[in-house]
Amino acid sequence: MIGTPIDVLPYVRGIQLVLTGYNGYTKGSRFENDKIIREEISRASTRVRSHMQNIFDLQFKEGNMGLARAAKQCMEECDYLIEDVAKSASGMEHAFLSGQRSPSNKDLKKLIKHDHEVIEMVTKGINLANSSEFSIATSEGDPKQLIMQTTQLLSSCRGFYGARAKILAGLKQKQIKK
Amino acid sequence: MSDYRWRDSPDTIARLVNANEIQTMSTQQVLLKPNEACAMIVDGRIGDILTETLLKNMAGGFSRWIGDKMGVTANDRRLLFAMTGPMDYWIPFEGQIADGEAVKGFANLRMRMNLEDVPKLLNFFANNAPVLTRDGMISIISSEVNARVVAPCLASCATAADLRAGSFLDRFEMTAESEMRNLLSNLGFTLLKAFPITNPTDMELVKKHRASVQAQTAGTQANVEAQLAHYSQTETLTLARIELETNVARAQARGQVTVELESELKELRAQEARWDAERSHARGKMELRNEEADAKTKRAMDMFAGVQDRKAERIANQQNFQNQRMEQQNDIQTKMMEMAANSGALTPEVMQEFLKQQTAQKAVDGSGSANTNMAPNTCACGTALTPGWKACPSCGSPIA
Repeated sequence: MIGTPIDVLPYVRGIQLVLTGYNGYTKGSRFENDKIIREEISRASTRVRSHMQNIFDLQFKEGNMGLARAAKQCMEECDYLIEDVAKSASGMEHAFLSGQRSPSNKDLKKLIKHDHEVIEMVTKGINLANSSEFSIATSEGDPKQLIMQTTQLLSSCRGFYGARAKILAGLKQKQIKK
Repeated sequence: MSDYRWRDSPDTIARLVNANEIQTMSTQQVLLKPNEACAMIVDGRIGDILTETLLKNMAGGFSRWIGDKMGVTANDRRLLFAMTGPMDYWIPFEGQIADGEAVKGFANLRMRMNLEDVPKLLNFFANNAPVLTRDGMISIISSEVNARVVAPCLASCATAADLRAGSFLDRFEMTAESEMRNLLSNLGFTLLKAFPITNPTDMELVKKHRASVQAQTAGTQANVEAQLAHYSQTETLTLARIELETNVARAQARGQVTVELESELKELRAQEARWDAERSHARGKMELRNEEADAKTKRAMDMFAGVQDRKAERIANQQNFQNQRMEQQNDIQTKMMEMAANSGALTPEVMQEFLKQQTAQKAVDGSGSANTNMAPNTCACGTALTPGWKACPSCGSPIA
């Protein structure tokens, strides 16, 4: 994209609030933008993992295996998400005559919206993880429920993030006109 | 420009490269794959951490040599390469469970390095060789794994069977996660998964041997039973075959006998039919004779009945005659007695004479009837004959 389309501008602004340097896949900065998004998701997942790690350590040492097991499961979910993000496709720029289709503007607009939604989702996960740790610290609420909600959210996030592969289907063949 | 290879073995995890020592005519470049990272340490400061990129002009080359000579480049440039993807580390251990049984095995730790944690490897390279291999990593963490994770987990197992329980695996993983964090965090690693693999203990080997012997015995037993069953089946089959053959032979013999009997029966039936015909014929003849005899008998009976009727009529006539005669005599005697009474001549002597005559008269009447009731004779055929018959009703012979 040469410029940022108006219809995705709010999403770009929203992402820019948390990620400086993000400009919505403008020409020449596609890989950098993609990397920024992925790093942000990894970072957010690491934050969730840190919270869960704290919960796990405390509960395991206190012998509360139910909460410790739930927290461990959430940590594993974070690991899976981080690994998914680290090893995900970033889309390809193909040569004009390669026969492959590079992501179009439409694809990139979809990608911007998708980035925004994934980041929102992971941020919610951070908040939930934080709330669960806070719940344990203050003995208020149901920490196990919060931990499991966090796990569920991260699991959804993994699945949702997988949709990028569809949007960035750079290896798709060009449609042959009959 | 030539490609620099920082990793020449799959066991290499990280390498600290002093870029100043790479003195080549051509510029070196390195390609960082998604599971590789490079932290740049320039003049003692940690710079960028790169991944998924082609790091051009990392070292060597004429321009960098000129820059060094002119003093416009950094004095100290080090590149810290590391693998960031998950890797498995097998740590051997030996320990004892609660009942004193020795346990040997391996603890598998699956670890990954976060991108931002790559510079933490400097903690390792500060006191070790600039190449970190899998074995090097294992040697660093093995003692702590054994002390903090393996020993406590094994001690909590009462028997060797507990080693195979899922709860043991859970406890092992959680203990590793909790107890190994300090060391791994210092080295920049994140533990993803941990699990033990224990070799069979001596007692387990004994049990295994016992189980195999039992299985062998059971197998032999099963074979014997199968063989016995086979023999039994063979016996049953043979007996069935013999019985079948016997039955067939018997059936054949029976069939032959039946055929013979049938032929005999046929003859007997023919004989029976003949005899039946003869008997019917004889019966017909006899019936004819009987009918003839019956007809004769009937005729004789009819004749006899006629004789009897006539006799009864004659007897009735005789009786009537006698009755009339007696009535007449009675009347005469009564008149005589009346006349005697009227004339006064009725004396006892007259009465006595009257009674004598009366008795004599009755005697005469009685003897007349006695002559008519004579005892019957017997015919030559044995039939009893009644007086008055002229011929025998059975044989028809005339009566004299």
